[in-house]
Amino acid sequence: MTAKTHRLQFPLSEADARRLRAGDQVLLDGDIVITAGLPTHERMVQCLDSHTPLPMDLQEASVFHLGSYSREVAGGLEVLYINPTTSTRFNPFMPRLIRHFNWHAVGGKGGLDQASAQAMQEAGCVYLSFLGGGCTLLSQAVQSVLQVGWGDLLVHYRLVRLRVQGLGPATVGIDASGRSLYEEQVQSARQRLGDILDHLDRQRQLGANSA
Amino acid sequence: MGISFESLKQTSAALYDRSLRGVPADAQRALQSALQTDRSDTARHTLRIMLQSAQAAQDAQHFVCSDAGVPVYFVRVGTQARFEGNVREAITQGFADLVASIQPPLLPHVTHPLTLARGYAGKGMPIITFDLVDDCDYVELICSPKALGSGRWAALQIFSFPDLATIEKFVLETVITAGAQICPPAVVGVGIGGTFDYAAKMAKEATLRPVGQRHEEPLVAEMEQRLMSAINMTGFGPMGTGGDSTAMAVHVDYNAGHGFTPVAVAFNCWINRRTRARLYNDGRIDMLE
Repeated sequence: MTAKTHRLQFPLSEADARRLRAGDQVLLDGDIVITAGLPTHERMVQCLDSHTPLPMDLQEASVFHLGSYSREVAGGLEVLYINPTTSTRFNPFMPRLIRHFNWHAVGGKGGLDQASAQAMQEAGCVYLSFLGGGCTLLSQAVQSVLQVGWGDLLVHYRLVRLRVQGLGPATVGIDASGRSLYEEQVQSARQRLGDILDHLDRQRQLGANSA
Repeated sequence: MGISFESLKQTSAALYDRSLRGVPADAQRALQSALQTDRSDTARHTLRIMLQSAQAAQDAQHFVCSDAGVPVYFVRVGTQARFEGNVREAITQGFADLVASIQPPLLPHVTHPLTLARGYAGKGMPIITFDLVDDCDYVELICSPKALGSGRWAALQIFSFPDLATIEKFVLETVITAGAQICPPAVVGVGIGGTFDYAAKMAKEATLRPVGQRHEEPLVAEMEQRLMSAINMTGFGPMGTGGDSTAMAVHVDYNAGHGFTPVAVAFNCWINRRTRARLYNDGRIDMLE
């Protein structure tokens, strides 16, 4: 089956999110929020615990695990580059954040766990896989920096709201029906492990016989 | 004459800079070849974007990945090489100079393991491993900026008198644990035998071999081929969203040891960052990779 490519407006609406299927390709236009920081996620959860407002409105936002390097220029910030980071280390925080803020798009690279996929199904949220090592291509899509939160954190940890045009393409790694390509690969690799080990035994035997 | 402090310093910085702005030609060929054979649409799509990304970074002289890693150097010192000045200091200053001048700037990745404070310098950084090479009048400098994505999932286990099936199963299990997180298709390096520390070093160095270069001993070369086909049966594919291309190469090395046999597995992600230069006593510098 050939994957569909969708060009969609962000932050992604729940309706758009629920229409996407795992394996689809997405090009992003509009506004996204990015961070690559573990301390950032800890702080977001602390804010929820203490009912403290966050530095920017994240309700129904599209929040991606993308690191960025930005510098101050006259009139604001200039982003020099962005690139995804591994999302799995944020697994402990994601279900609560997705449910609380009703996020409809998250992403980065490497996927999220099943607890996150469950929260995503409830919120109507997709996980977008950006190319790790896509720094040059992805950075070309950045139009402007709209907002920066938690400026005391390291530059790639801050919450940064960006306007992008044609960011991606990204692959829908987990869709809003709960289907996760990541979980499928892990499950099928584990199921195939017995066959793969048999294959290795046969290959070894062939090598020994031909020697 | 000898190898000057200045040339070591400048070459250390230049190798690092170059490693960030392109994907080695052999890795690109391996991606091209995967593009011809992978049966998954999603996989081929991702492979095409990988090749575009490599080209775009090279054309724009921009970074391939924003995780510039931490500075890791392997230094192979010819016994007839002569140095003018402190070698470790030259490499350390080379990296510091790079941090001060590189455009675009690097993100701070050097992390204190106990406080998690991050910056551009730290105890024992850059990580430099020295080896001796007999009867050579040069020093070979290999730069391998190590990033979180592929660095995190290396593993080592010690077995007693393992058979080949046990060793190969451990490699497979390590690949499955790493899954999508190492930015596949990866170069998988395996170090078998020796001691705890030495197996890890062999595995890491194996990832830095030219892509697909087979071990010279048939017993090991056959294991490499077997593991390559086995790993590509797991189905993770490019970026872990499914496909036949999970490993772009498997490189195995071994060392004699005792009956306890460490098996180490290390990964290099698809951008396969590695650069290499030789500096000679007479002042020549050959940029090899």
